[in-house]
Amino acid sequence: MSEVSSRTDEELALKAKGGEMRAFEVLVERYKRHAYFIAYGFVGDREAALDLSQEAFVRTYKAIHRYKPDFRFFTWFYKILSNLCISHLEKRRVRKRYEVSLEEAPFELATSKLDPAAVYEQKELTKKLWEAITNLRPDFKEIIILRHFRDFSYKEISEILQIPIGSVMSRLYYARMKLKEKLKDLI
Amino acid sequence: MGCERFEFLISGLLDGELDATEEQSLKEHLLLCDKCRRKHQELLRLKEVTDSVRFKDLSGEVWAGYWNNIYRRIERGLGWILLSVGAVILISFGLYESLSQFFADPEISLWVKIGVSALGLGFIILLVSIIRERIFAYRRDRYREVQR
Repeated sequence: MSEVSSRTDEELALKAKGGEMRAFEVLVERYKRHAYFIAYGFVGDREAALDLSQEAFVRTYKAIHRYKPDFRFFTWFYKILSNLCISHLEKRRVRKRYEVSLEEAPFELATSKLDPAAVYEQKELTKKLWEAITNLRPDFKEIIILRHFRDFSYKEISEILQIPIGSVMSRLYYARMKLKEKLKDLI
Repeated sequence: MGCERFEFLISGLLDGELDATEEQSLKEHLLLCDKCRRKHQELLRLKEVTDSVRFKDLSGEVWAGYWNNIYRRIERGLGWILLSVGAVILISFGLYESLSQFFADPEISLWVKIGVSALGLGFIILLVSIIRERIFAYRRDRYREVQR
């Protein structure tokens, strides 16, 4: 088991392509959190994010015969996941049920504070931050989630979104400026 | 270098993604440019805000069952494929047997046999045409991974 776990994503994907289910399971274990939180960032709904992230893995497995090791596994998986999330949002919009709950932000404080006043203030901030992120343009929202909430490096974001590193930097700048504008009362 | 390029570099500086030369030139620019220095401060504050929160995690129980859910979905998909293949084989065999007996029966008039043949042939042509159209559309669909 540990031998499989120590393999690179691409080696695991090739093994999964050869029918080794255990290799695919290791990939799922490696990326399930990224998948879930990215989907959450896209759709803002816990249950839908869980379902979409799992469905993305199922589709990835079904399409594994088309996988080529020239691409990073996660880049390939991300494409399937983001397409699924966009379709989900489109369906919600079409059904005129596009309502992301702003009552309950999906964030929690990164550090525990004992001062109740500070906690209350932070909770309000958390709610407003989520509201602001939700209302960003999809490509801005996407890059904010990848950088701020999943800690991907510029190089990794560049590979995932298939854009040059310079574009990652400029898109992040514009996304942050827009976010700052939406939070102007707080910042 | 204009302010716009330095503005982009501010993002890189906040994320620790600049090389030494870029960092040095930005820091020199920030000493001279009030506008960029103000933006740097604002974006630094924004980063502090975003760094102060994180996504709520799921319970350990949900994570523990995550792979099993995926495995079940894959397994069910395979089940449906086998079920469909089996159904197609059995229906085809049943149709073949029924039609063989039908055409071999001397008591059924020739016109009825011609009518049934034309009906069957028409159905097959339509089916092949639809399948061909679907395959044609699928090959050209860049977004076939997307669930519509």
